[in-house]
Amino acid sequence: MAILYKKYKKYYYMFIIPALLLYALALLVPMFLGTIPYSFENWNLMSGSRSFAGINNYIKLLSDKDFWHAFLFNISIGIWTIVGSNVLGFIIAYFLNKKIRARGVIRALFFIPNIISAVLVAFIWTFIFAQILPNLAEIMGWDWLGNISWFGSPGTASFTIILVSIWQQIGFLMIIYTAGLQTVPEELIEAGKMDGCTGFRLVRYIQLPLLMPTITINLFVSISGAFKAFDVPNAMTAGGPYGSTMTAAMDIYQEAFVRYNLGYGAAKSVVLFAAVAAVTLIQLHFTRKREVEL
Amino acid sequence: MTKIRKKEKGNIVITLVLLILGLIFVAPILLLVMNSFKPYQEMIKNFLSFPVNFTLDNYTTAIARMDFVRVFFNSAFVTILTVVFGVIFSFMAAYGISHIQSKLGKFLYILFTMGQIIPFHTIMIALQTMMAKYDLTNKLTVLVCLYIGFHSAFGIFTYVGFLKSIPKELEEAACIDGCGVFRTMVQVIFPLVKPTSITIGVLFFLWTWNDFLMPSLMISSSEKRTLTVMIYMFRSNASSEWNLLIAALTLSIIPIVLLYILAQKYITSGITAGAIKM
Repeated sequence: MAILYKKYKKYYYMFIIPALLLYALALLVPMFLGTIPYSFENWNLMSGSRSFAGINNYIKLLSDKDFWHAFLFNISIGIWTIVGSNVLGFIIAYFLNKKIRARGVIRALFFIPNIISAVLVAFIWTFIFAQILPNLAEIMGWDWLGNISWFGSPGTASFTIILVSIWQQIGFLMIIYTAGLQTVPEELIEAGKMDGCTGFRLVRYIQLPLLMPTITINLFVSISGAFKAFDVPNAMTAGGPYGSTMTAAMDIYQEAFVRYNLGYGAAKSVVLFAAVAAVTLIQLHFTRKREVEL
Repeated sequence: MTKIRKKEKGNIVITLVLLILGLIFVAPILLLVMNSFKPYQEMIKNFLSFPVNFTLDNYTTAIARMDFVRVFFNSAFVTILTVVFGVIFSFMAAYGISHIQSKLGKFLYILFTMGQIIPFHTIMIALQTMMAKYDLTNKLTVLVCLYIGFHSAFGIFTYVGFLKSIPKELEEAACIDGCGVFRTMVQVIFPLVKPTSITIGVLFFLWTWNDFLMPSLMISSSEKRTLTVMIYMFRSNASSEWNLLIAALTLSIIPIVLLYILAQKYITSGITAGAIKM
């Protein structure tokens, strides 16, 4: 191997070049020569003014009510979505893991929403909320349903975003939970049953602890996904009513591409990145600690 | 005996319950498809009835109004090039990285892995500004390059994981038999990682075909629009023409569902493998 390595060393480096160039173009350069330096600049595209601002953007950000509102809203819909999609995803996986028929078909039914573009998913549900439900209410004479203005109040608008996000993410989490459940050895479950551990207790004390690695992954995926919430709320409520359903990523978008404050928007981007990195690292640390060795 | 029978019965009940719940779960999609075959007046009268006057008018009108064929081919062009070159470049880089024994190899691996935790929203401002400055917007090939660069973080990470499990003796044997470095990579190792390549390819397909934000920032000319962006624009401009919109939505979902049916095994195993490697 060592001989091979010496002989072909320059080729091995050559193989990396195409991917590295494109990776630099798409990610490294924008991140390190763009976002980070921009965040220390006072740069507005409309007025054309651009000057060094030091840490002013970050100081301004501390007292920016709109940004923190978006950030907190993001976290609150995130928590509902993370809990809802993980619990439901696990329950479906749990029953799919039993010896049942038509497993492939059932799995496909729950998984398909996950492979459709989030923008299209948002429109499919807008169709349901804005067209089908009022029509259903009219036909059935259900005034209570007809009177709900789904996108008209912050509460119902948030509900639609959470519901649709859960609907889209269940499939992905379910697939990983199914794979995780298959790694729990049959003997352990049999042994548990013999000791009189059945039903819910079997899940709670035997399957769940052994599933910690899977839970770690799923929480990581859903937490980092929650911070990136953009497509669904943007396509469904566009932040309304009155900016109440604006997420952090949407706020960054508005700052940069609607108000043209590139420097300030970049500072917000850095904060978003730091938040995602910190929360996911803390989560990985805590759930990894609770993983049991077989 | 009775116990076994009882258990089987229980499983049939679970099967049926799951099947019904699954159908309710996808009901929004079923309602979408069903209504897309109704004339507008029939649709708004009752969304829950089966089509009486079956029609394809919604489709023909939507295809014409939205310049659907062109947009569809734009999306297909970007997606296919991204998948093909994304898989090739990721594999080559992973092959190189897994062979380099110096610290630089380790550094490059970490550098690529890091890309997976940077959200697109963190770099979108810089990316858009820089691309506009060098006149690189409105070019589908640039979009392809950006996707390959963005997806390569995951591709390389996954390939390196699988390449580790391939015995080095295989390559040494190939070398002794007079197989050069290119032939070893292409004809000996690449076929061995075929399942991984299909998985990565399928995921690249989904991420590219479904993406909205990148093309909406990089493409402003209506001729170069991709599918998701076109549908978004149509909805913002003509929000009340639901019959056309749902026909277009149905058409856009078809390729994805077909891909899922063809590659179901690879999608599910790929997602699992990709997640577990983390």
